[in-house]
Amino acid sequence: MRQRNCDFVGTTMEVDGQSTLSLREFGCEQNLLSRPDGSSSFVQGDTSVLAGVYGPAEVKVSKEIYDRATLEVVIQPKVGLPDCIKILQTGSLVMQCQHLPQDGSKMLKMGSPIWNMDSRVKERAREQCVRETCEAALLSTLHPRSSLSLVLQVVHDDGSLLSCCLNAACMALMDTGLPMGCLFCGVTCAIDPEGHIVTDPTAQQEKNSRAVMTFAIDSAQRRVMMSSTKGSFSVNELQQCIAVSQRASEKFFQFYRDSVRRRYSKTL
Amino acid sequence: MAAGFKTAEPLEYHRSFLKENCRPDGRELGEFRTTTLNIGSISTADGSALVKIGNSTVICGIKGELATPPTDAPNNGYIVPNVDLPPLCSSKFRPGPPGEQAQAASQFIADVFESSEVILKEELCIEKEKVCWVLYCDIMCLDYDGNLLDACLIALLAALRNVQLPEVSINKETDLAEVNPDRKRHLNVARHPISSSFAVFDDSIVIVDPTAEEEALSTAMMTVVTDEDDTLCMLHKPGGTSLSSEKLQDCINRAVTRNREVGKLINTVIQSVKTHKPLMFSLYKVMKTKMEEPSGGSSVKGVKGDTA
Amino acid sequence: MSDCLKEKVGEVLLPGDVFSLERKPEKVICGPGLRRNGDEILVCKSGIFRHKHPNMYWIDSQQKRYVPAKGESVIGIVTAKSGDVFKVDVGGSELASLSYLAFEGATKRNRPNVKVGDLVYAQFIIANKDMEPELVCMDSCGRANGMGVFGLGGLLMKVSLGLVRRLLVPQSALVKELEKVFPFEMVVGLNGRVWVKAQSTQHMLVLGNLLEGCENMTAQQRHAVFRRVADSTP
Repeated sequence: MRQRNCDFVGTTMEVDGQSTLSLREFGCEQNLLSRPDGSSSFVQGDTSVLAGVYGPAEVKVSKEIYDRATLEVVIQPKVGLPDCIKILQTGSLVMQCQHLPQDGSKMLKMGSPIWNMDSRVKERAREQCVRETCEAALLSTLHPRSSLSLVLQVVHDDGSLLSCCLNAACMALMDTGLPMGCLFCGVTCAIDPEGHIVTDPTAQQEKNSRAVMTFAIDSAQRRVMMSSTKGSFSVNELQQCIAVSQRASEKFFQFYRDSVRRRYSKTL
Repeated sequence: MAAGFKTAEPLEYHRSFLKENCRPDGRELGEFRTTTLNIGSISTADGSALVKIGNSTVICGIKGELATPPTDAPNNGYIVPNVDLPPLCSSKFRPGPPGEQAQAASQFIADVFESSEVILKEELCIEKEKVCWVLYCDIMCLDYDGNLLDACLIALLAALRNVQLPEVSINKETDLAEVNPDRKRHLNVARHPISSSFAVFDDSIVIVDPTAEEEALSTAMMTVVTDEDDTLCMLHKPGGTSLSSEKLQDCINRAVTRNREVGKLINTVIQSVKTHKPLMFSLYKVMKTKMEEPSGGSSVKGVKGDTA
Repeated sequence: MSDCLKEKVGEVLLPGDVFSLERKPEKVICGPGLRRNGDEILVCKSGIFRHKHPNMYWIDSQQKRYVPAKGESVIGIVTAKSGDVFKVDVGGSELASLSYLAFEGATKRNRPNVKVGDLVYAQFIIANKDMEPELVCMDSCGRANGMGVFGLGGLLMKVSLGLVRRLLVPQSALVKELEKVFPFEMVVGLNGRVWVKAQSTQHMLVLGNLLEGCENMTAQQRHAVFRRVADSTP
C-alpha cells in the first residue's frame, strides 16, 4: 500500500543557441523506505542512488554541537566494505589492513605498492562535499544538540555520481521535513577533447573527457554552492559550464516541484 | 575590552573589522600572509621543503623507492601523497587515525596531481613491467593556523623540484636493478599548479588566505588551483554558502596573480640553492647550512589584491 | 499582502519559496513550516499550504519524525525513573521528563503508580529547542482531564504525523468511517502514536492495518476497503 510516485523526465535543451545539450532521463521516488524518517531514490540515466535520513535524533555527547544539529553523511559504495577492511594483494605478500586510508602508504611500504589513493578516501571527499552542501541548505540551528544522519547508498554508478548523490540527498532531506532555507541540486558537466560541454555525462563520457566538473546550485539565487573539478580547463570554459549548470538546475528544480506535488496530490 | 569582545563574540569581532575592509591581523581582504620557503631541510629524504604561510608551517619530505609498475599501466610509476595532521600542530586534532580533514587534504593533493599532471607518471618508469619509482610524498603540518591546502601544495611542489633520484639500470645478466648513487638527476616538473584559498563571510565578503580562526567562523571555503599558463586545474569548493560567478571570477583573478608570486619565490629559492654549492653533493651540505640559518630561504609577501 | 498568501492556499510549496510582504504590514501568524525573515515569509518544509481564518498560515507536511511543541498531547513510553522524574520516550530527539508530582492528586506521600515500560498520555508544558522537554499529566486546574497512565490491553502503533492530524480533525470523516466498521476505543498522540482497544486482538490488528493503509488511499478506495472489512469481520 506504500505510496509510489515515480516520475521520469527526459529532456533536451538548448544552451546559448550553439549546441543542444541533454540531460539523461531522470526520476525520483520519495518516502520509499519505512524505517528512516525520510528517504528517496534518485535515478539519472543508469546512475542510481538511494538516500535515507534519520533525525533529528539523540546525539552522542562527543559530537554534540551546542547551537546546531550535527550532520553526518555516509556514502556506501556499490562494491567493497563500508568500513574499509580491505585485503590487499601485494605480490606474494597478502596483507589485511584495517583503516587502510589512514596510513595506507606506510603499510604498503612493506611490499610493492598497488595502492594509489584508496577509493574510500575518494568517498570521504564526496561525503565532505555533500555534507557541507546540506549544512548550508539546512536551518540546523533550529534543532541544536541533535543528530541528523544521511546515508547514501550507491546502487549503480554510470557517471555523474556526485550530482546524483546531491539530488538524492536534497529529496531525502525534503521528505524528512527538516527545515531548509533553500533547495539545491547537483549538475555534472564534462568537457570533451574537442571542447564541447556534455551535461550529465555517462561513465564512458567522463572517461573520454578532458575535464569533469560538478556543481551544486542553490534554488534561491541559482549560485554555486559546491564545486568539485577534475582535469584542467580555462576560465572561460568554467564560466560556460557554470552557466550551463544554472540552466540545467531549472529543470531539476521544476522536477522537484512536480514530484513533490504528485506526492501530495492524494491528500490535497 | 577588545580581548573580551573577541572571546565573547568572535564573529561580531571579525565583522567589525571586515566592515572597514581590513582584518584583525592588519591585512587587507585580498592580502596573503608572508610566505617563507626553505628547501632541502630533511637530509634523509630525496627531496624536501618547508613552507610557512604566516604561522602555518608545513614540511614535505619525498622518498623515492623502487617497485614493480602497476599491472593495468605497466609503463607508469607511482606518486603517493599523504597529508598528516598530528596533534602537535593544533588542539583540533586528536591522536590516532587521520581525521576527515587530513583525508580530504590528501585527496585534494592527489586530485591536483591527477588533474594537472605535475609529473608524468611515465617518466617514473625505469623499465616497462619491471621496475619503476614510487614517490612517497609525506606532508606533515607542524603548526596549523589555517590555509593548509595552499601550504601543502607549495611544499610539495618545491620538494619535487628539489628531488634528486639516482640513476637506475637493469643488469641484463642478473635481471636486477642496479642503483648508481653518484649520478643523480632532477625530476622533470612539467607544470606548476599553485592554489589560493578563500573564505566567505556572511555570504558575501570574500577574504584570501584565512587563518584558523577565520576558517572556523567563515560560512564557506574555496580553493582555486591555477598553473603558470593561467589554466585552472581545480576549483574546489566543498559546500557552504553559495557564490555568484562574478565573485568566482574575482577569486580566479586573485589566484592567477598569486601563482606568479609563488612561482617567483620557488624559482628564487631553487636558484639560491644551486649557486650555493656544487650540484653533486648539494643535498647534505645545503641541508646543513639551511638548518643553521633558517632565514636562508627567501620570502615573498602577497601583493594587495582586490578580491573584495 | 495576505492576498499573495491567500492565492497560494491549497498549493504544494517547497523549501526556499518566499512571500515578500512589502505592502501594508498586516498581522500574519506563521505556523509550522513557515518562518518570518524581515519582510519575507520563508517556506522551510515541503507540503500543502494551509490557511485558517483570519490570519493563520502553515505548511501541512507528511513527516515521520516528531518534534515536540508546547501544549501538544502525546503518547509516551516511560523508559527510566531517575529521582523525582520519569524519562519518557516520545519519539523526539531527546527523552522528555515527567515529574511524579505532575499527576492528578499526586503528593510527596501519595506517589502515582508508574512503572518503567508503562504508556502515558501527557501534554508538553515545556518544549523548545534549547531546553529539555517536560511533560505533565494534568491540566492547568490540576485535573487529569483524560491524561495519565494507560490501563491494560490495547495496541500501540506508529503512523505518520500527517495521518494523526487527519484523525484529530473535528468531525473527521476518517474516524466516522472507522467507527462504522466495529466499535473501538482510540487514543491519538500528536507524536504519531495511536493506541487502540477493541473487543478482540483480531479487531485491533485489523484496525492497525486499516490505519496504516489509509495513509495513501483516496476517499473512494478507503470506502471500498472499509466496507469489505466490515462485511468480512464477525
